[in-house]
Amino acid sequence: MLIFWTILIAILTAVACSICGVYLVVKRETFLSEGLSHAVLPGILVAFLVFQDRTSPWLIITAGLSGLVMVWLVQLITNTKLVEKDAALGIVFSGLFSIGVILSRLNLKNVHFHADCIIDGNLEYAPLKGLSIGGYYLGPQAFVTLLTINLLLIGFVGLFYKEMKLNSFDQSTSKLLGFRPNLLHTAWLAIVSITCVAAFEIAGTILVVALIIAPPTAANLLVNRLSQMLVVSALLGAFAAIIGVAVGLQLDIAASGPIAATSGFLFLLIVLVAPKRGIISRWQQRAGQRARLLETLVLTLTESKPIHQLAIVTNIQCPPQQVQRAISRCRNRGLVQLDAEQMVSITNKGSALIELRSNARDQTVSLKGQ
Amino acid sequence: MLELLSDHTVRTVLVGTTAIGAISGALGCFAYLRKQSMIGDVVSHSSLFGIMLFFLAGYWITGEPNKSLFILLPGAIFAGILALTLTQSIVRRTAVREDSGLGVMLAIFFGTGILMLRWTQRSSSGVSGHRGLEDYLFGMAASMTSQDLMMVSILGGTAILLLGLNWKELKLFSFDPMFAQSIGMGRRRLDLLLITLMVIGIVIGLQCVGVILMIALLITPAAAARQWSQTLGGMVLLAGLMGGFCGGIGSLTSAQFGIPTGPVIVLLGVMLMIFSVCFAPKRGVLFRKQQQRRLATDQNNRFRRDASC
Repeated sequence: MLIFWTILIAILTAVACSICGVYLVVKRETFLSEGLSHAVLPGILVAFLVFQDRTSPWLIITAGLSGLVMVWLVQLITNTKLVEKDAALGIVFSGLFSIGVILSRLNLKNVHFHADCIIDGNLEYAPLKGLSIGGYYLGPQAFVTLLTINLLLIGFVGLFYKEMKLNSFDQSTSKLLGFRPNLLHTAWLAIVSITCVAAFEIAGTILVVALIIAPPTAANLLVNRLSQMLVVSALLGAFAAIIGVAVGLQLDIAASGPIAATSGFLFLLIVLVAPKRGIISRWQQRAGQRARLLETLVLTLTESKPIHQLAIVTNIQCPPQQVQRAISRCRNRGLVQLDAEQMVSITNKGSALIELRSNARDQTVSLKGQ
Repeated sequence: MLELLSDHTVRTVLVGTTAIGAISGALGCFAYLRKQSMIGDVVSHSSLFGIMLFFLAGYWITGEPNKSLFILLPGAIFAGILALTLTQSIVRRTAVREDSGLGVMLAIFFGTGILMLRWTQRSSSGVSGHRGLEDYLFGMAASMTSQDLMMVSILGGTAILLLGLNWKELKLFSFDPMFAQSIGMGRRRLDLLLITLMVIGIVIGLQCVGVILMIALLITPAAAARQWSQTLGGMVLLAGLMGGFCGGIGSLTSAQFGIPTGPVIVLLGVMLMIFSVCFAPKRGVLFRKQQQRRLATDQNNRFRRDASC
């Protein structure tokens, strides 16, 4: 039963993170997500030190505020135009994270915040702390929190779908049309900060970045539309989270490392095998294009009069094997023929093909002229 | 605090952290100017993987745990360069953008590094002598030995030497890579050199501030120095001085009060940067406000004078 809750919490975390991540990846703000995940630490610790409860709901609020403080500080520094934007971000979030780490080492009133939690999260205990309202057991607190956050995210994205979409791809138009992109953006960053805190339970604040960035980037290679990207990255994230939890249980370590690693390796796999945009696919496409180009060259060379096979090979400055193969392909398709003296001549079928192609080209040219 | 200085270990740590701060700060100027803060962050997080890999390899080959920097730092350098090379090849061959690619690389390397670290720390793994590896997360300058100091000097010295020998080329390449290429300087060679210098700058600081905060030690002195100096040479020297200052004072403070070194050094640097942004002459915010006020008064006076005619 515990495993069931653990996996469910893992999936909810992954889905929440990947939704956040889709918009950040599209807007090229991945470094910002790295920054937010570091910057929420002092917020978490302030709430922890005041309320002495790691699972208090106040953590979420102070963490959200902490994230907004980071964004505000970075904006302040960047506006002076004296420090470069990425550097300002790196400096601010490191500074905030340092404050968090120092706070975490303070031993106030015998309450100790384990620094390991920052990296590892606390998945083992997550299913154990339950939440009951009015005597009605709702499930583990982490589950309820994450479910709420997911609903919040889906609600926000659903309500502002068109505005978020426009904001991600064309911020100036959004501003012109009065959709207040800055306000939307700030609200979104606050929600992302809150998600970072919630994901803290499972992945630790820093490895949340893996779940935010990797699934959407992988999804980007598989689909074309934003809506599809949301769905696919959620699926990929959930998959990575499940495998990560399983590996963690198997090796008896915290799940955060395995989850991050899995999401990353999943990305590498997709980079290789994605249809159309993966490395293998593009290699095949390029090989196909090269083959077709060589065939066209062979036909062009033999168009007017027969030409010796070796002359073709020397004329086309490509590796001889590839040219020979192109000639064979043309022969197999009946476009050229080879006679006894190694002379290659074009056939009627071949001439017809060249005619067709040049007609198409002429048509395109004339259309362009219009 | 002076009693601390009589302790040999404290002296070693002080010299070490000052040197590390100075070298990282100086080398970080190039990362700052070329807007490569994110790349530096990814390299430093990725180093954890290399450290764990070389530690485990050393343990399994020799049967003895060896946390010497002579083994671990080459691992860090290897992982950093591997992460960057992998990102480059993916970004060049597919539609993946550079910042997303870097972020994923961080996930892979840092995630795998954490996985290996936690697995090693389990008693069931049968690996001993791993205590102290966790210090690479947040830094623990207090455990620096003279041997570590030697490794830092060798690496740092090599970096400074390379920097000095190629100073003119690197200066031109950092500011105007196209022109440099057009007059025949090898772009790849200089790019590789600058990346190597950045990786060395990152790797020597890992023991001091840890992988997570290393980016701050690299970039903050450069950002601060930029406010005071208009020349590259001045900036590099000043960044070195500021970095050394943060490193030294930071480690003394952390030793005195028992707080982890990394955060203290970083916070010192951040305060220095904020001070520089506000108070630096010619560029500082306060100076600019003063300038604006002076201009406004001048205009006001001129208006009054002209109006009265």
